[in-house]
Amino acid sequence: MTKKTTKIVLAGEGGQGIQTIAKILSLALEKTNCSVSYIPQFGPEQRGTPSVAFIQFGDEPIYYSQFSTADILVVLRKRALVSIDRFIGPKTEIVFDSSTIPRRIIQQNNKYVFGIPATKLAEEKFKSKSLNLIVLAAISKRFFDYPKNALWEIVEKQLYKKFAKNPEIEKNARDAFDFGYEFELENKNYSKAEFDVASGIIIKKNTQRTAVIIPKYCKGCGICIEKCPVDALSFGKTLGVFGTPVPEIDLDKCIACGNCFRYCPDSAIRVVKK
Amino acid sequence: MEKIDEQFAMPACINAKSKPSLFCPGCGESMILKHLGGVIDNEKMQTKTTLAIDIGCTLLAWNYFNFDIIQTHHGRSVPVAVGYKMSRDKRLVIALMGDGGAYAIGLQSLLHAAFRNNPILAIVINNTEYSMTGGQMAPTTIPSEVTSTSPIGKNASCFGPAFHGPELVRQIANPNAYIARGSVSNPTILEKMISKAIKNQIDGNFSMIEILSICPTNWKTDAKGSFEFLSKLENIYSLGEIIKNDKKDN
Repeated sequence: MTKKTTKIVLAGEGGQGIQTIAKILSLALEKTNCSVSYIPQFGPEQRGTPSVAFIQFGDEPIYYSQFSTADILVVLRKRALVSIDRFIGPKTEIVFDSSTIPRRIIQQNNKYVFGIPATKLAEEKFKSKSLNLIVLAAISKRFFDYPKNALWEIVEKQLYKKFAKNPEIEKNARDAFDFGYEFELENKNYSKAEFDVASGIIIKKNTQRTAVIIPKYCKGCGICIEKCPVDALSFGKTLGVFGTPVPEIDLDKCIACGNCFRYCPDSAIRVVKK
Repeated sequence: MEKIDEQFAMPACINAKSKPSLFCPGCGESMILKHLGGVIDNEKMQTKTTLAIDIGCTLLAWNYFNFDIIQTHHGRSVPVAVGYKMSRDKRLVIALMGDGGAYAIGLQSLLHAAFRNNPILAIVINNTEYSMTGGQMAPTTIPSEVTSTSPIGKNASCFGPAFHGPELVRQIANPNAYIARGSVSNPTILEKMISKAIKNQIDGNFSMIEILSICPTNWKTDAKGSFEFLSKLENIYSLGEIIKNDKKDN
């Protein structure tokens, strides 16, 4: 009996590594003697714009790379959801990042909607960049029951340049991958997204200075930390617009020189003398 | 003390609704636009300014400011700005472009505007590559710099050395034209350059500022690495006002 063509959509933001895992997944599926097609879709080379990957695989030849309804849909960021909403059908199995997307904004009442708090796991247990490997391992296990070691071989082949630079990255990636493979995708109640962007304005005051940080503008580039002459800034726990940490300020060290304000590209920080 | 709101850390002429802006984390262009906004605020020119933007990452500034912005074709922000200035000579007209728009596709427009001494301000953001399309090699790429189309480093014997735009423009520009090169590594001097250029435009002369900028996304650098590479660029592209070299003429 031939396997029916399965259609997969992976979506996230540029810089998250969506296209990397899509490529790995396609290569892995190709090894099972299937026909595979993989089409990436993204805008300008820019962080933060939606990045989508369309994958099809099955025993029958694939004649056309586009499709209208996905069988499996993976979405990792709120803003990417808009561009892939139309691929959700009544039978689509949805995997979403429950730490950044609240369940209610995925409107459909599909039977299988799985949450995986990938951003939270990556930030707390591993490094933020390993988010994509956790998701890759989890979906490969859940939907294709892909053998773990065979999949890791392909990951290694694709990322060998990064791994060669720093053995710590490889270890971290391997840990994240192992964790993702063991992670059980379940149908649960995911009403609150813990790692959503912090709202409001952070104001810190002492007798001489007032510091203002606006997390919803901060993209976590780290330039203010680099340019601070007295090391009063460091990454904190609040999250900015791209799910990256927002700097924290130590007002006792701060001399209100204004460098952070001067260099911040996103107008997210300013310290003034009283 | 002024009121603490969402506009607190940005100049008043920047559109707070456009935030978070479309630029990548750590983008130098966003930094430059903030200082441009700061100067326009200081000079109280917000209601009198028109900005012409180019194709490339500069077009992401389409809603960045609370004043008029014109989207032009690739390399054509200078001629559009010149035409606009001809019909509305009371306005402050700024043409914003990247190094690809200014020195590759739009070089003749820039040269002739300088040659005619048209009273506009041309701001060229130089990050040594075409950033929006994925960091391809540009004329301004420095020798042996790795980009996506020069994976083993730019071969200077085949593709030429680094392109010095302001020095070239200086050779044919009117003596009253203000031509300078700044860098995002020193925003205070950059703001002074911009305000000087704006005054020069009000006096009826052409001004051009090339600004060395950072591109962490395509350079694949972090905050520290970006500024290290920028200081390397500053050794090749000397900063400051560009003065005409008369030795060759004699």
